[in-house]
Amino acid sequence: MEERQYDLIFICRPDTPEPDVDKLIATLENTASEKGAKIEKVEKWGRKRMAYHVQRLREGYYVYLVLHSSQGEAVKELERRLKVSDAVIKYLTVRVDEELKRRDKLKRHRDRRAARRPRKTAPGAAAPAAPAPPAPAGEPSAAPA
Amino acid sequence: MSEENAAQPPQQAPSESPAPSTPAAPAPAPPAGAPMGHSGPPSGGPGRFGGGGHGGPRPQGGGGRPGGGPGGPKRGKRSFVRKKKVCRFCVDKADFIDYKRAEILAPFIQERGKILPRRMTGTCARHQRWLTVAIKRAQNIALLPFAAEL
Repeated sequence: MEERQYDLIFICRPDTPEPDVDKLIATLENTASEKGAKIEKVEKWGRKRMAYHVQRLREGYYVYLVLHSSQGEAVKELERRLKVSDAVIKYLTVRVDEELKRRDKLKRHRDRRAARRPRKTAPGAAAPAAPAPPAPAGEPSAAPA
Repeated sequence: MSEENAAQPPQQAPSESPAPSTPAAPAPAPPAGAPMGHSGPPSGGPGRFGGGGHGGPRPQGGGGRPGGGPGGPKRGKRSFVRKKKVCRFCVDKADFIDYKRAEILAPFIQERGKILPRRMTGTCARHQRWLTVAIKRAQNIALLPFAAEL
């Protein structure tokens, strides 16, 4: 089964001590590896103001994880962990691999087009000035190259 | 967003600064067809402030509409050609809209929390599609509001 990538964001209570957050992240990593998944990246965004109240709190400690997993079981288990954890007030898992794939594809496309453009415009600009027979001959040979 | 999205959301990214485009400069030359004798309805375009009598069949070649003030419709008098809005994400050549960066999404929601329609922002269809998904995700993790607080 192919591997999928997920963004996993959770918000802890703002008064959670930092060691507790680290401990929670460590347990999540353990859980992930038990289920054959891997947490590739951990980013602690720290205390941020939330856009609305969550459990009567206006601030939260954001943690962002990138998860690579080939089965949904891991996600399910991680979400269960987050749900039962008292410190966590909100969490969100988003599957992102398809969007990233689309982004890379578009980017490749764009880069290839950008690489081709200067070569194409140069002969086109030269052609009207000097309509010599070698110009059309040179163009097709340049295009496939 | 061509660069890696490893950057943390609070940091202002250099490329996609969400400064609202102010339609300061007068529009460049209008499209080849002179705006006068047009009769068709506005093609879903940015007739944003809806000048009064939209909708009904218009008299042919009636010398355009009278007013066409600053807030008037796009094709009034030549001097008031509205600047065409362009999709900001297309300008930035965005291949991806990151829901984690609330500061680039914020200009596209109303104060009450609604997502602004395309006709207001000029976003192209594709990017609007990505944008709505991104905004909804951001709302779910409290980076953007669902509704304004009273």
